[in-house]
Amino acid sequence: MRDRLKGTRMARAAAVVLALTMATGAWADDDVKVGAIFDLTGGLNIYGIQQSQALHLAVDSINAGGGVLGNQITVIENDAQSDLAKYTQYTNTLILRDQIDVLFAGLTSSSREAIRPIVRQKKVPYFYSALYEGGACDKQTFITGASASQQLSVLIDWAVKEYGPRIYIMAPDYNFGTISAHWVEYYAEQFGAEVLGADFLPLTVTDYSPTIQKIQGANPDFVVALPVGANQTGFLEQFAAAGLKDKMGIVSTNYGSGNQQVVVSPDAGEGIVASQEYFMWIDEPNNEPFMARWEEAYGLDEPIISEAADVWNAVHIWAAAVEIAGSTDNDAVIAALEGGVSFEGPNGTVSMQPGSHHLRQNIYIVRGNREHAFDVIQKFEYVVPSFEDEVCDLIANPDTAEHFVP
Amino acid sequence: MELDYLATVLLSSLSSASVLLIATVGLAIVFGLMGVINLAHGEFIMFGAYVALFATRNGVPFPLAVVLASVVTALFGAIVERAIIRHLYGRILDTLLATWGLSLVLYQSAVLIFGTVTPGVGMPQSNIEIGNYTLSTYLLFLILVAVVLIGLLYWLLTRTGYGIVARAAIQDPQTAATIGIESGRINTATFALGSGLAGFAGAILLPAFPATPSMGFAFVIKAFLAVVAAGPVTLSGTVVAGGALGSIASMTASFYTTVMGDVVFFLATITILRIFPLGISARWRLKL
Repeated sequence: MRDRLKGTRMARAAAVVLALTMATGAWADDDVKVGAIFDLTGGLNIYGIQQSQALHLAVDSINAGGGVLGNQITVIENDAQSDLAKYTQYTNTLILRDQIDVLFAGLTSSSREAIRPIVRQKKVPYFYSALYEGGACDKQTFITGASASQQLSVLIDWAVKEYGPRIYIMAPDYNFGTISAHWVEYYAEQFGAEVLGADFLPLTVTDYSPTIQKIQGANPDFVVALPVGANQTGFLEQFAAAGLKDKMGIVSTNYGSGNQQVVVSPDAGEGIVASQEYFMWIDEPNNEPFMARWEEAYGLDEPIISEAADVWNAVHIWAAAVEIAGSTDNDAVIAALEGGVSFEGPNGTVSMQPGSHHLRQNIYIVRGNREHAFDVIQKFEYVVPSFEDEVCDLIANPDTAEHFVP
Repeated sequence: MELDYLATVLLSSLSSASVLLIATVGLAIVFGLMGVINLAHGEFIMFGAYVALFATRNGVPFPLAVVLASVVTALFGAIVERAIIRHLYGRILDTLLATWGLSLVLYQSAVLIFGTVTPGVGMPQSNIEIGNYTLSTYLLFLILVAVVLIGLLYWLLTRTGYGIVARAAIQDPQTAATIGIESGRINTATFALGSGLAGFAGAILLPAFPATPSMGFAFVIKAFLAVVAAGPVTLSGTVVAGGALGSIASMTASFYTTVMGDVVFFLATITILRIFPLGISARWRLKL
């Protein structure tokens, strides 16, 4: 018995070694190497799986068209397992061992902050593709998701006109939530509205009754709700069940980014307003071919999330910059990106802002319907990442490495 | 402070405590009667939630789906006990490791089978008005569920043959074995009961807490703390500790902030364990 166990263990080890050598032997030397780290397992895979799928789809489409600079692109991918420490570890491995030319990685702000100093030191261009609280400013880092100020500037303006000037905020208790809440207050003041109160919820909280009572006590015209992950969709169910949806509006910058509209029941999801840089239901010329491609590869049982479009855009923007630079060299690619690269994405035209490394792009305001989907209410064309453009100019100050907070 | 607000806070803190109790009691039974710490308890809750979800979506009425989820999760628990737990009795650390591994397997299986998002059941859109405030009827209904559940368990463990035998087997295994009690079968039954209760929790809470692969994690931390604070008198201890911690935390969250509510929950647990290192029920005369 013991010997047999030992035998299978040996066989397994041999298989692993074989797989590793095959993996490393698979590419030719002149291939361009793209590194990827996403959360394929663990609690964050609600986002990470689609980010990875989008990356492979984008690379395949570029390879089918002849690759970059005539070379095929190879993807070397690691699963961060929703574990922050893995991001540091794999970033180092990908750069030192695999010698990648560019890195696409991360969902949470903490993962980006873990990666940022490493790519800065090792000089590898890095793309972060998720909506976030905004303000990251670093020579090596390029951001293709929308920032909080980009989304909230249009959303708060719209909601104040639609519902009225009294606002209550429900947000997760970490930097995305607290900084977003600050932006809500900033834009509330700008549009003549008032924030009556805010409740920050740790991610492990399942008891939403106190928050719902405080909302009733404050009696706002609308609630800004920023539930993170699928667990916090329980808040939306309980909000609807308490009958609050008839009395006030509910808007969000991240509802839908993890397909929360699929999890909530039609009664709870109907009427929730969200604003993001991409929704599957938008009407853009490039969205249809993008979706067709996606459906062919992965099916559409799960709607495509905004982070997937962000990754798709990021890969294409990087590839365009490589073509302009004529090389995958770090300095040349960054110079090309800072020359201003635009791309026709599934969500319309997007352009890399030279100074801030953030994307100028459309923001869509949508409303949840009873079919676990969204109807587009309004499109804001080509919205500038105003806060990032204001505080972050990496052409004038290339040594900046900061996470600006308002 | 208006009276209607006070009344709402009181009722909703009771419902919060009930949610905690419903999610905890299965863990408490397994720990109290078997000395096994089941780190996969949260994933058993998730298991029950998905069984109920799929039953409902295939046309089974919700109450029946809850029963089905409890039974299926109990059966699954029995299999787990026979296949894994049984071999690790008396080895607390090994049990911890094995059940933790099981929780990872269950979590990832759920992702592979159901994907990361699945349409939920939704709560009944009915609510009760108290002055300027409204409370969801379903959350109030959960108070009743918790009371009935605890009552039934008390009856099961004190008034039935199984209950007496199960408690005998844990209080004095040798004497129990001498008079012919087969502890192996009793343990399987007890673990199945604990699992079934977790399945029941996942199912009954499903309308308010949608099924996701990671849902267990959200419940399990506070459930563990409640069991630790409860101490040796399994059922009454858990009712007192879980009820007190849950409602104090919820009230704090209502009057201050949700973060404060969490802080108070942890502080209260620490305080209880400072004063009663073996749990709140360490010196009680009650046996259950």
